[in-house]
Amino acid sequence: MDLKAVKLLLEKNAKKTWNPLGVKEEYCSMWAEGMNFPERGEVLLYTGCLYQMIPYIDMFARLLKGFESMNPALFGIAMKIKALADSLGLDTISLLASLEISKKDRERYFRIVRSIANALLSAGVKFAYMREEPYSGVLYHDLGMDDLFREHVMRLAKKIKETGARKVITIDPHTTYMLNYLIKEFVDDFEVEVVHYMDVLLERGYTPKVRGPKEVVIHDPCYLARWNGVIDQPRVLLSRAGVKVREPEFTRKFTGCCGGPIESLFPSLSSKLARKRMEELKETGSPCFTVMCPICLTNFQREARELGVRVFDIMEVIE
Amino acid sequence: MTDLTGVSQLLNKVSDDPVLRTALDRAISSYWKKRKQVMERYPYVKELADEVRRIKEWSIDHMDELLDKAIEAVEAKGGKAYIAETAEEARKIVGELVGTGKVVTKAKSMTTEELKLREFLIERGNEVYETDLGEFLVQFLGPKPMHFISPSIHLTREKVAEFLKDFMGVEVDKDDVEGMVALVRKFLRDKYFSADVGISGANAFAADRGAVFLIENESNIRLSISLPPKHIAVVGMEKIVPTMSDAWKVVEVISRYGGYKVTSYINTVMGPARSGEGDIGPEEYHVIFLDNGRREASKDPILKQTLYCLRCGACQYLCPVFGIVGGYWAGLESAYSGGIGVMWEYITGDKETSTQHAFACLLCGRCIEACPMRINQPEVLREIRRRLMERI
Ligand code: SF4
Repeated sequence: MDLKAVKLLLEKNAKKTWNPLGVKEEYCSMWAEGMNFPERGEVLLYTGCLYQMIPYIDMFARLLKGFESMNPALFGIAMKIKALADSLGLDTISLLASLEISKKDRERYFRIVRSIANALLSAGVKFAYMREEPYSGVLYHDLGMDDLFREHVMRLAKKIKETGARKVITIDPHTTYMLNYLIKEFVDDFEVEVVHYMDVLLERGYTPKVRGPKEVVIHDPCYLARWNGVIDQPRVLLSRAGVKVREPEFTRKFTGCCGGPIESLFPSLSSKLARKRMEELKETGSPCFTVMCPICLTNFQREARELGVRVFDIMEVIE
Repeated sequence: MTDLTGVSQLLNKVSDDPVLRTALDRAISSYWKKRKQVMERYPYVKELADEVRRIKEWSIDHMDELLDKAIEAVEAKGGKAYIAETAEEARKIVGELVGTGKVVTKAKSMTTEELKLREFLIERGNEVYETDLGEFLVQFLGPKPMHFISPSIHLTREKVAEFLKDFMGVEVDKDDVEGMVALVRKFLRDKYFSADVGISGANAFAADRGAVFLIENESNIRLSISLPPKHIAVVGMEKIVPTMSDAWKVVEVISRYGGYKVTSYINTVMGPARSGEGDIGPEEYHVIFLDNGRREASKDPILKQTLYCLRCGACQYLCPVFGIVGGYWAGLESAYSGGIGVMWEYITGDKETSTQHAFACLLCGRCIEACPMRINQPEVLREIRRRLMERI
């Protein structure tokens, strides 16, 4: 992978859509159609669009892996052609993003987000939601593209401010960490309280119902467990619903990474890391995995069939 | 520079190597077991580690001051102290002290690997032997030390048995690890007695007494530095702490987090043997304090934390990427390995290659949990990425 090409591509997609994969902001909010959330309010649900982007991330990952598995000489040439195409404005990723993602593909992830929103509603939480919801910008930060990240989060902070929110509920580990810590290094007056939805549910004494398997092995997402300290919360929710939880050898603060974060630069290595972690999870004896992060979900999902396991988001196990 | 194809091909290739995978799986699961036992048996080490972190923070902020004290202490005891600003300078000093046509025994030391000292001395017509079993295997089997504590982590006992069979010309049982250790020991025994110079690194250096601290399990270090008439210690400037008592704390933390319930030996060397007092030991004690990027890094608010690293190897054992590619991460030219290896290489060696390797980090943060110093490797590696992305 050539970093210059990656940078150019991300910048271009950001310019057009404020999204690294060229996914439109209307698409990010599509799951909420008909739910009639107010656009302004004290409390804002902010999804960061990561769940909704899964089908695109998935397509992108498969494409990259295809490139990488070519013979080395061909791969080099392919990357050069790609870089050239990009520099001429024929960027392949936007092209990809403009392809219609099938309804079935996206429905699963929309449903996860919807079920989080519904759980919050049932727990008595009232919240606003943006009509055209922006992406969080974490990928830019991870890659060290701080200028782009700054530009992105300044706009995001402004948009959040415009909703009048004093409290933001987040649903994925990366967005949660970004809003809790990173954004403050780049935006001066970002003074909203940020809480993960599981904390909100627990605070409200919410008791979920089982919706999927009755027994699962739990995989703590790195960013949730280590960087946000959300460890007991999913366990409490699962046990309240009566779901039996198995713990792998590496768990809680010592959880193992799904490999997802390096997928855009080292796709093959990334899937080998996913497999390794999945084998650890499988050793617990349960073929049903539960995760609480869209990146873990998509990265594991791609290997699931071959390993004979099933991967669920926690909001597919309970509701 | 911006093309990661080479890094990606290297890491992909080695992650498919079944021998490497088996070796890593065995080493990592055995480390994890030992670590849990150690933490249970010595629950106070976490607090001790926090204390050592404070000692290191202070020491790195007062590096120049401590360096002056250290030099004074070494010379007060009749030793000789040197400052080497660069790797080249360090090699030159050692080269002159050793000369040519000599026999040299070496204690395992990452800092001398950073200098490629063994290769340098051999090229100058010396016979050089690594005396740590793992490092001895690396000397002959390559490609480089693959882990701070366990340099031959990439080799299975089957591979080692095969090598020893050829090297020593005797039958070797692959399941008899003790037997293999004994074989190498026997081979090295003669070398200690004929050696002219013993070279070591340092796990810690106490500025108040000019003392080098060296931890080991095989007793090879005491032999390689006390039998030859000359002892040269190469000490990275980040290793200096104010007092003997600080240095003891450092070595305890290293050995516990390295996975040892007890380390067999801790050596402290404070100067040349004093004749007439019945001391045995080398007549000459030379200490080379190595900068090679360390002083500059100590002034960099983000890179600085790299210098708190004790090289205990815990983060390498527990890093998911390291778990499938081992020491190939950071590249074959770098003495250092893993995420922390990329950081060390960035400071002391090749900035370009280490920057490329910095992109392979997951930023997952398990290393922070593993590390006694709680060094934030993701933060440093991301910063290294940023410095490149900003200018391309
Ligand atoms: S970074 Fe921490 S865990 Fe890794 S070798 Fe250094 S001290 Fe040990």
